[in-house]
Amino acid sequence: MPLDHIKIMQEVRSFPTMTGTATKLLSMIDDPNTDVAKIEEVLRLDPGLTANILKLTNSAYFGLPCTVGSVRQAIVLLGLKRLTQLILASCVNAIIDKPVPGYDLSPGELWRHSIAVSIAAEDLVRELRLPEMPEIFTAALLHDLGKIVLGGYVKDELQAIDDKTSEDVSFVQAERMVLGTDHAEIGAMILTSWSFPSEIVEAVRWHHMPDEYEKKTILIDVVHLANVLCLMIGIGVGREGLLYVPSPEVTRRLGLKTTHLEVVASRTLEWVNDFTERFGSN
Amino acid sequence: MKHVVLVGDMKVARKGDILVTHALGSCLGLMVYDPVIQVGGLLHAMLPLSKINPKKAEENPYMFVNTGVPELFKAIYAIGGEKSRLIVKAAGCGTPLGNNEMFRIGERNYTVLKKLLWKNNVLLKSEDVGGTASRTVHFDISSGQVIVSTSGMREL
Ligand SMILES: [Fe+2]
Ligand SMILES: [Fe+2]
Repeated sequence: MPLDHIKIMQEVRSFPTMTGTATKLLSMIDDPNTDVAKIEEVLRLDPGLTANILKLTNSAYFGLPCTVGSVRQAIVLLGLKRLTQLILASCVNAIIDKPVPGYDLSPGELWRHSIAVSIAAEDLVRELRLPEMPEIFTAALLHDLGKIVLGGYVKDELQAIDDKTSEDVSFVQAERMVLGTDHAEIGAMILTSWSFPSEIVEAVRWHHMPDEYEKKTILIDVVHLANVLCLMIGIGVGREGLLYVPSPEVTRRLGLKTTHLEVVASRTLEWVNDFTERFGSN
Repeated sequence: MKHVVLVGDMKVARKGDILVTHALGSCLGLMVYDPVIQVGGLLHAMLPLSKINPKKAEENPYMFVNTGVPELFKAIYAIGGEKSRLIVKAAGCGTPLGNNEMFRIGERNYTVLKKLLWKNNVLLKSEDVGGTASRTVHFDISSGQVIVSTSGMREL
């Protein structure tokens, strides 16, 4: 479908960027010379974003001993890395918190799925005793961003895509066969245009096919596994169901066992519920 | 009235009610019905065995098959259901594509269910389990009818 492909690329180019405040904040946090007072100053001008950050800060997932009421306190208790992730999560929420056609995700499901994969991925890192990876929350949060663009096209070509899927052909492979691209690649393109670091872009690009990338990174591996796990427990599982392949190679490389998956699943569900419920209560 | 049963939850209902659960991937959906007094219950359990996280199981037994299934039967008995009359149906327990041993949680959910039922002399009347489908269950408590839908619809 060359025509579809051209249209998809146009949509990628006109995809919304993040809000001015977020972009400003993210670059400030990257700058080692920025002090906390300056960050507070920028946030003061965006009460909506501040409220969201505080809500997320107080979620059960972070397990803080007291209720946090100010940005300064949030930074002290969670650190700037977390603050960055929460700013990003707030902004991404506005983009992905809607129904996604094609994959048939009801409003809020892609958001819930994205948060779930972030939380499950971080928990897998701990459970498997892997080295800490601060980028994993963000990589996982954004892994399915491409579905926002591709959903409409998937919907139009659903029959053709369905016909391609089989025991040996996953849904994402079928997307590629019919549309000439897939949601993972589209996500990577959007993040490239947002000037995201390449390791995050590659984690998004290869989240379904880690074996096909010549470089192996734990970041990609963990996002890959956490994604399948969240689909299995029904968080953000669309009409394509479980038509995805969890890579045996990745499983072996990380020494992953069923018990790891089950322990993480048992913790993830409630963290995700708490995290997303907070956000919904405005 | 329509009641939605979320992941890791269980509800019982009476005549006039409909129990619904969505997005059964690897999770088990278990439907129990007493046609004489028209009551039923639906469990949406996520993982096979509670020993993986005993603390969670204490807070929420419905998360696990081995603790959730007995709770479902107890709840049905508590509202007058009789074991000899119960009609039991199962859905879900899916598995992703490929042959990754570690991702067979759905199959393990099913195995634990079958063992539990067998030990207690309960038969499954029908089932729609396995494969890659994400299933939705509509359980009509007036008639006992269970409809499983994926992209299409099918009666159990
Ligand atoms: Fe994906
Ligand atoms: Fe995903």
